[in-house]
Amino acid sequence: MKGQYNHLIARRLQELGVDSHLMPPSTPLEKFEAIGADALVMGGGPQSVRSLSELTDELRDASNLMTKIKLPMLCICVTHQLMATTFGGSTQLARKPEFGPVEVSVSDEDTILAGLKPSFTAWESHNDEIVVAPPGFRVLASSDNCTVQAMRHEKMDMFGVQFHPEVYHTPKGADVFKNFLKVVDEYKRE
Amino acid sequence: MIDLQSGEQLSVTLEGFRPSSYLTSETARIQQVIGSGKAIAAVSGGVDSTVAALVAKRAIGDKLLPVFIDTGFLRVREPETVRDRIGQSSLGLRIKLVRAGRRFLEATKGETSAEEKRKKFRETFYQVLGGEARKEGCDFVVQGTIAPDWIETQGGIKTQHNILEQIGIDSVSTYGFKVVEPLSELYKDQVRILGRHLEVPKDLSERQPFPGPGLLVRCIGAVSKKKLDLLKSSTEIVEEKLGPFNYEQYFAGVVENKFVEDPFYQTLEETTAGALGLPSSETHVDVFKDRVTGVKGDTRSYGRLVGVKIKEDSRETYGWLPEKLRLAQSSIVEKFADVTRVAVLIKEKRSGPPLSVIVRAVSTRDFMTAAVAQVPWKILKDVAESILKAGDASRVYYDITPKPPATIEFE
Repeated sequence: MKGQYNHLIARRLQELGVDSHLMPPSTPLEKFEAIGADALVMGGGPQSVRSLSELTDELRDASNLMTKIKLPMLCICVTHQLMATTFGGSTQLARKPEFGPVEVSVSDEDTILAGLKPSFTAWESHNDEIVVAPPGFRVLASSDNCTVQAMRHEKMDMFGVQFHPEVYHTPKGADVFKNFLKVVDEYKRE
Repeated sequence: MIDLQSGEQLSVTLEGFRPSSYLTSETARIQQVIGSGKAIAAVSGGVDSTVAALVAKRAIGDKLLPVFIDTGFLRVREPETVRDRIGQSSLGLRIKLVRAGRRFLEATKGETSAEEKRKKFRETFYQVLGGEARKEGCDFVVQGTIAPDWIETQGGIKTQHNILEQIGIDSVSTYGFKVVEPLSELYKDQVRILGRHLEVPKDLSERQPFPGPGLLVRCIGAVSKKKLDLLKSSTEIVEEKLGPFNYEQYFAGVVENKFVEDPFYQTLEETTAGALGLPSSETHVDVFKDRVTGVKGDTRSYGRLVGVKIKEDSRETYGWLPEKLRLAQSSIVEKFADVTRVAVLIKEKRSGPPLSVIVRAVSTRDFMTAAVAQVPWKILKDVAESILKAGDASRVYYDITPKPPATIEFE
């Protein structure tokens, strides 16, 4: 993905002791198996994902990848929105976009947001937002301007966040990654 | 994408970056690339290019020739200070000073677009470097490019002057040398760690960043001698007065007092006053004509700079209320897609040339995101008074926009 912060995702994970690699979403599934990947984190990008029929090649690949891959998955910003578009929710132009610091209120401390109640400051940069979460997904957090700041699939290890846990100015961002890595640990044990 | 190799790794928090192993692998790589050739190191006195030159020196020793180009867009006494500081210290980088100020000014004169200014600067920069490389018989140029430089250039946020190969410019056929970038995968904080490891003196390794194109990108809009002179004197004041606070970056910009009169912005005052909780009569808002660079939703946004003035009495009693100002800034930027930056007036003088100085101070770690520094109001007033007294400006503002939606630099 072309996002500014994607290199930072790899860096944050490396700081947590994870061997992380940046790869394009066109990477075939066999490649993930070949390198022994245990999880997939997808980052942001400048594109809009309001309609599945108007995706860029890169995001179409990302959309296909998230329907096929069986690994625990964390999607950030545009790919969080892409999860909604892909799985039957809806992404639209935000009534009020968010840039810089935003207070995110946690309604459900499930998994990736464990320990983050009642709220935390996160950095954002988005013009679009999820207006309807896809069926089978549960909303975990929201902000004044944006109702779906975080969501998860009810049964599968699929998580999405609108904010950027990878940037320095989201102080609790590392907690989100640590929580996600616990899911990955569980997955590996099974 | 993650590839967890073992569960045990997770239980240990590892420092992601080890300077000694980085140095070992990078010097080996440079030796392989440069072989028995000679290289110029483009140095600016900043931490990136100094550390890059030191890494290269470890690899190829005396076959490295450090060169400092005086672009004319530098701070007061900067070329001499850098030459003496880096040359005399234990670092042992003997610098050749190349004066090219007139060439750079000629190349950028009359250009108002930030991207065009940056591209013309880059072109001149590499022509001058290419000329030096030929003169010295060097086939390689070592430069201090770091990760945010190419990330922002590739992402179309702004053209950093030191990016060629990452955007498909072949430096060998275009300028006659091959580029070597020992730090291109690192962030600023990692470069500083490497600098400390190489025993770079603290005043160099912890020095605040200064952009490659220098004051050119802080002269918002077209460059002129008047703007440049004001910028030099204001920069000196800001660096002196804000230096003790240890913000990661603090500087000044200059913009002409030319404003946009567009009905589109009619509700701007209302939005601002509402967010500040003041009656409309207490606030005044100007939209500057020259555009400034921002980044909204991961896309470059070359947008408007909004100047907010709170009536003097209220400004005094009101002082510096970061929360209210933050709310005003975000309300404006949310509502007006074209606005990337908001600044608040600190002080003005009635009679004075039609130029404004914008003071900016941010706290950041890796320069990918930045928060507005909470400079005490008293200090801001002191800075503004000094600028108005010393230079040819009529207004002094403080930039209250984080990154995103603004970038750290103005252009």
